[in-house]
This record gives sequence, structure tokens and C-alpha cells, in this order.
Amino acid sequence: MKIPVPGQCSRFTMEESSPSTNFNGQIGPSAGGGINSGTKQADDAGQRLQYSIPGILHFIQHEWARFEMERSQWEVDRAELQARIAFLQGERKGQEKLKDDLVRRIKMLEYALKQERAKFHKLKYGTDLVQGDMRPPTFEEGGPEVTADAEQPFSSVSNFTWKQGRQMLRQYLQEIGYTDTILDVRSNRVRTLLGLNNNEETGSVNGNEPGSNKRASSEGQGGGRRTPAKKPPLNQGGSTGPSSFQEAMLMDTEAAVLANFEFLQAAHAAAGDEVGDEMDDDDDLQDDVDDVHEQTIRDTYKKNPNSLMALGLGLGDHDDVDAEAEEVLNELNILTQTEAAGNVPQGESQNWSGSVYPSGDESVKRETEPVDTSLGLGELAQLTVNNEAEAAYDLPSTKESLRKTWTAKYTLRSHFDGVRALAFHPVEPVLITASEDHTLKLWNLQKTVPAKKSTSLDVEPLYTFRGHSGQVLCLSMNSVEDEAFSAGTDGVINCWNLPSVNIDPYDSFESTVLRSRLLGHTDAVWGLAQDGFHQQILSCSADGTLKVWSPSTKTEALHTYMSEQDGIPTSCDYALYAMDKMVAAFTSGHSVLFDLETGKPVTRLESSQDIIGNEIGRHIYRIKSHPLLAVTVTAHEDRHIRFFDNNTGKMIHSMVAHLDAVTSLSVDPHGLYLLSGSHDCSIRLWNFDSKTCVQEITAHRKKFDESILDVAFHPTKPFIASAGADGLAKVFV
Amino acid sequence: MKMADGSTILRRNRPGTKAKMFNGWPDEPFEEMDSTLAVQQYIQQQIRKEPSNIEVILTPPDGQDEGVWKYEHLRQFCMELNGLAVRLQGECHPETCTQMTATEQWIFLCAAHKTPKECPAIDYTRHTLDGAACLLNSNKYFPSRVSIRDSSVTKLGSVCRRVYRIFSHAYFHHLNIFDEFEKETYLCRRFTQFITKYNLMSRDNLIVPIIDVETPGSGESEA
Repeated sequence: MKIPVPGQCSRFTMEESSPSTNFNGQIGPSAGGGINSGTKQADDAGQRLQYSIPGILHFIQHEWARFEMERSQWEVDRAELQARIAFLQGERKGQEKLKDDLVRRIKMLEYALKQERAKFHKLKYGTDLVQGDMRPPTFEEGGPEVTADAEQPFSSVSNFTWKQGRQMLRQYLQEIGYTDTILDVRSNRVRTLLGLNNNEETGSVNGNEPGSNKRASSEGQGGGRRTPAKKPPLNQGGSTGPSSFQEAMLMDTEAAVLANFEFLQAAHAAAGDEVGDEMDDDDDLQDDVDDVHEQTIRDTYKKNPNSLMALGLGLGDHDDVDAEAEEVLNELNILTQTEAAGNVPQGESQNWSGSVYPSGDESVKRETEPVDTSLGLGELAQLTVNNEAEAAYDLPSTKESLRKTWTAKYTLRSHFDGVRALAFHPVEPVLITASEDHTLKLWNLQKTVPAKKSTSLDVEPLYTFRGHSGQVLCLSMNSVEDEAFSAGTDGVINCWNLPSVNIDPYDSFESTVLRSRLLGHTDAVWGLAQDGFHQQILSCSADGTLKVWSPSTKTEALHTYMSEQDGIPTSCDYALYAMDKMVAAFTSGHSVLFDLETGKPVTRLESSQDIIGNEIGRHIYRIKSHPLLAVTVTAHEDRHIRFFDNNTGKMIHSMVAHLDAVTSLSVDPHGLYLLSGSHDCSIRLWNFDSKTCVQEITAHRKKFDESILDVAFHPTKPFIASAGADGLAKVFV
Repeated sequence: MKMADGSTILRRNRPGTKAKMFNGWPDEPFEEMDSTLAVQQYIQQQIRKEPSNIEVILTPPDGQDEGVWKYEHLRQFCMELNGLAVRLQGECHPETCTQMTATEQWIFLCAAHKTPKECPAIDYTRHTLDGAACLLNSNKYFPSRVSIRDSSVTKLGSVCRRVYRIFSHAYFHHLNIFDEFEKETYLCRRFTQFITKYNLMSRDNLIVPIIDVETPGSGESEA
């Protein structure tokens, strides 16, 4: 029994290649002490007659001093273990909070999913889907796992509560003597558990190590034995980031375990002594010593039966210390957790023992399943876990903005006749409308008139642009400067300088507002487009031509394009993905992609094969380019919206989008959504990818057989707008 | 582009429509108009058919509510007056016409401001039209286009009085523009006759002489 101890210690040293010569040195003397005393005893046995009272007293005193020292070491060990218990409890609290956050996130997502389903169902079958509880989740119940000792009731999803909880945890840990660095360690561990490779955090792990050393040394001072033993493995572990941090923890525990081994060795040595002594001598003093000894062992059992049991195991099998140490570690964890209140899911202990990600994920999944078993939330849980806890709080808000429904907020009434076109200011909440009453009006959505019904606000126009002698049909706003272009049945393109958005509506007349007039078209101009890149505009007219203008330099057209075989252009747009191309729709029902430089058609986008009805049926009301993709979208009289690939000219998708002719299109600046307006009085919002309708809004009334004449997205703000033949424009938020 | 698709006529201005074909669809009988904008549609349809046929334009269909009829006509007048304002913008400068006058008798103060102001003629014109547009589109006074409260109908008189001054200024200071505009639209004549028919202004204020009188009714209004 005695001989393997030093050998084992040195083997440990070799294996771990840690500078634990100290360790060896530490154990050596005391173990050696045991051996020495054993030898001495053997000698004594051999020379029984030479016993003397002073000799015995000296021996007893010596032994007593040794036991005292060991007892103080045990005290230190106990303090250490208590600290660990506190640490683990703190960790558990943190985990619980995290879990609650995750559960809340899941509920949010679940609610969003339900809403989407209801919406989808409504769109598909026209009836409301009955699916039970459609209330937004209230977060008061805090999930089934909340324990009685949760100090902070979760009443709302706010960063504030979360932060507060965190602060409390911090305070708590500070109270029991843990420094902030430990907290960092903890959060880092949470991250590692969640499978995040956050390199930034490596620094803080390394940073923690002086703290733990400080702790170790301050606590180890009483014993002095443990301090050097602990330090080296920690240093080694700390130097290689999060994964080796766990290793460090392991080593730490191993060191503790080995220290206990040492004690047991000593105990056995002492026991050996005892046996020898009892056989040879019935001295009371000796008995006392034994009593002390046994008392110590019993105390230890009382304090930490499991670990001691593990130690017993470890003693039985000296060859596999590492594996044993790990087992001890597990035992320790279980012990702590059972002490800590018991209902912590198994996942945590698994995490602790180093089987990191999958089990952690599983535990999250297990926790979420009671929330709603009808949903396969595995993926959702995954999704949630992959986000950092803090970032999670930004996510619901962005989700909200995506899934929100648009509601009419502003009604723009001041036109005497149908509003043919509208355009938003690139930045401000300002828009211009162009009407068949020959005027354009400028509106500032921040200057509203309180209306009787509080749901919708009336806006009064800021400025009326008078310059056309006929109906104004199209409008385009410069994305860089404050200028707008409009054209109509008079065939003139007017360039306007926008007045200040804070102008007094009844200010005096400034003739400079109408900057220039571009003459060249001989018939109604139906389409204007701008690419916002070259300071050029594109126009298409019922005279059969398309023209490109550079309004800032000259009033004559730079280029004229036409397509004899296709007839009159009905709508045009720059192909936004490529600076040198434009698309135009013609009365033939086809669209043509032109090269702006050469003026030659590049690709024809033909859709004749599936067009129902006659020439009127295939009439294209509007053509729009996707802002990022080489995709062109066309709106047709036959209720279809069609999508074309600009490179091949092939139709990608065709869908019946409305109950009547589709008159207007707008693609949002990110290219994710498509807005369409129709003579069926409704506007519809489409997901560009899935081509599914996200929302339908009935917006305008009919005048003759026309209803909605234009729709638009605000380039930077969450506004959409529709213009109607009823003389109104509406803005939705 | 006014082709019938099968048997139904779709009255639409499709993109690409020639200017002279704009609104160029076959008439729709008033009885068949089921829109809330039926009166406006009917008035515009009559004007497009023959702008000089004032008598027909001002004759309401049977059973038409008079308040709505007057309201829709006034809307149409204000809308068409934009055309006159556009022309005046080119010639009537604040430097030359510093005040809104017709004859030397009156200087009209612009009522668009908190305290009535001596605006230059062009500003008066613009402000008056803008103010009229706001009033006539006001959700407070005219929330509906199919029925109008009597209290709101009384507002029409003051709008008429102010708007008429635009005609008078154009006639006395920019006669060429007035004549050109009148030849195309017969607007002043129609307006005078409208005012007289519904007695919206005192006849003494109708100072623009309507020459080339075709009906005895408008002859009287010259006074």
C-alpha cells in the first residue's frame, strides 16, 4: 500500500506533463512521513524494550501536530467545496434564466408561426383558421421549470429585467466571494455549451486566471499545501481558450481529488500504525490518537459521502486515476445539484462533465416540448440556441417589422380627380402625387390634420405644382437631389425643384420651382423612370418612342428608342441590376430589354403562350425591374403578374394576382416584397421569393372601371402608398 | 383603346393611350353608374362630349340631389381653373400684378391667411384654388360625395365668390389668356351660368361680360 503512492504520483506527473514536481514534492514528504513513521515503528517493534516516555510523548506530539495540520487542510478543502457549490448554484441560476429566455423566444416564434398559418389559411380558404389560442404569449408563467427559489418573477420580455437578473446574480456571487471574472468564465462556459465559438471571449477566459489563482492562494494559505498544486494546471489550461478551460477545471478537481488521496494514504498509513500499535501496545494515548483519526474520517464522510465513496473507488484502482477523477467530478456535480434543490435538468450535469453541445441542445428541446408538443420545435430550438442571449432581444423586434400587417394611416385628399402616380421622397416621410386634375401635390406626413376618426389621419398638401396643361400621368422622384419629374397627356416632362418640406402652404409663388420643361414627345407620356445613378431619366410615350434625357444639362432627348414590331410603349424601367439596360413594355403584350448604348433590343420577354383573350388581355400596365436580380416583373390586364429572367428572356413565373387588371407594381428597396395594385380596388403585398400574398388591402373606390392607379414603397422608411381613381392617395404603415 | 372585350366595355385609360383618346370611351348612361363618383363621372362625360353645350352640362339627371350636384360642379370648376392658373403663371408676375384687382373698384384680400392679406394676383389665384381644394376635400365638411349636409352647402357660395375673381382678374388684366382659355373650355361662361342658375352669388358681382351670348339666361347675368 505504501509503495505505490509515490510511484503513482510521479506517474501522474509524467502523464499530465504539468510542472507538478511541486505536487510530487508536496505529497512526497507527507507520504514519506508515513513511510518513515512506519519504518520507525518497525524499528520500534524491533526494539521494544527501548521505549521511553519522552520518546512516546514526542511521537504522540508529533502525530498530533500532523493531524492538526491535516485537519486544517480538511477545513480548507471543505471551504473550497462549499465555494464550488455556490459557484454551481450560481451557474444553475444563470442557466435557468437563459432557459427562460429561450422558452420565451420559442413562444414568440410559435406565436408568429400561428399567425402566419392563420394568415395563410385565410388567404387560401378565405376563412379564419380555428387553432385555439391566438393571443400573443404572455410571459408571466415563466415556463414549467421555474423553481420556488427564483427570486425574479419574469413579467415581461425586456432587456431590463434580464439585466437586472444578471446584476442580482453578480451580487450574489460577489457576496460569497467570487469575483467578476468568474462571471465572465461562467458566461463563456454558457457560450461554449451553446456551441458558440466566440473567439473574443478567449481573452476573458485567460483574464480570469489570475482571479482564480488569487482565490486559490488566498484560500490555500491556511494549508499551504494545495496552492502550488493547483496553480500549474490552471495556468496550462487557461492558455488555450474555452475548451482547455474545461480541462483546467478538470485538472483542478483532480488536484483536489489527489489531495484527498494523499490524505487517505496518510490515513492508511496511520491505520497501519494503529494496527501495529494495537497489537503491540494498549496505550491510552494511542487510542486517543486513533479516536482523533477516526473522528476525522467520519467527519469527512458526513460532509461529503459521495466524494469519499469516489475516493474509495479511486483507492481501489490506482491505475486509472484520470478516469476516476472524472467520475469523481461527475459525482461532485450530482452531489451539488442534489444539494442545490434537485430539479435541475440532467442536461446541465452532462454539460458540466464535458459532453458539450448535443446533450445541451437536447435538454433545451426537452424543456420546450411541454410548451407545445404539436409543433416540431427541434429546429426552432436550434435556431434559438444558436443566437447569443443578448442578441436575442433584438431579433423579435426585427421579426415584428417583417410580419407586421400594414394599416391605412394617412389619407391624402385634395385632388379633384383621379391620382395617377405617386412617389416618395428618398429619405423624408414626404411624397408627391400626380393627378388627372393637372396638378401635383407635395405632402408631408408629419404635418397632419386631426381627423374625426382617429384611425386615419388627414394630411393637407404643402404645395401644389401647377405646370401641366393636361392630366399628369407619371411621376418620378430623384433619389439624390430634391427634384421630381412629371409628365402627362400634354407630352411635356416637367422638372421640379422640391420646395422645403416645411414650407407654408400659402407662401408666395416661386417660379423657380418649375426648373425646366423637356419637350420632345408628341403625345401623352405614360412612363418615367430613373436609375438614380446617371442623372438621366427615361420616358415612354404614346407617340411610340422611348427617350432618355439628361435634365440637368439639356432639354432635348439624348437618345430615342423604339420597337416597330411591338407598337407603343406602355411602361418602362431601368434594369437596375445592370446600369446600361432598360426594359420597356409594349402594346403588343411583350417586353423588350434594350441596351441603352446601342439602342438595340437585347432580349425579348415574351409571354404570349399563356395569354388569355385578345390583345387587350395581354396589355401590360406596368413593368418593373427587381433592384438586385436580373428579373423583370410585368402587370397585365388579364389579372396576371409575370416574372421574367432578363438573361434568357424566359418567363420564370406567372400568377393570377388579382380579380381584375393589375395596374401597378412596386418592388421594395431590398427586393423582398412586391406590391401590386389593381382595378379590383385592392392592393396586395407579395413575398418576392415564394410569390405568396402576404396581405391584401382594399384601398380605393372605382371611377368608371378604374380603381387603383399606382402603388409605391418608401425607399427608406416603412411606408407604402396607393393612389386611386377616386382622387385619394393613402399611406399605410 | 376603348375596345370592348366581348360585350362589356371597360372604361379605362390604359397606359399607352393617345392623349386625344384619353377618357375616349363610349358614354355610360347615368342610371348604370353605380359608383360613388357617379355625379362626377356624369358631369365629366357631358363636358367631354361638348364643352360648349352648357345647358346640357348644367342639367342634372332626374332625382339628383341638388347639393351634391352643385358641389360636384364646383369641384369641376376649381379643377379646370387650374388650367387658367397655369397660363397666368407665365404672365401674371408678382411684380406686375402686385394686388388682386379686377376693376379699380376693389382690392381683394387673400383669405387663405390667418389675417387676410394683400397677396399679389398670382398668389391670390393659387392660394384661393388651394384653399378651395382643401375645403372641398375636407373630411369635416364634405365627408361624403353622395350626400352633403345643408350647412356645408352654404360654404359653396363663398368659394364661388372667391374663385370668380380669378376669372375677373384674367379678363381685365390678361385678356389674351382669358380669351384663349375661354375659347377652349367655355369655363367662365359655364361658371356664370352655374352661379346664376343656383343663385350662388349676387349678380352685381358678376362683372365679366359674357359676349357671344346664346341663351337669354346668360344674357341676364351680364348686368
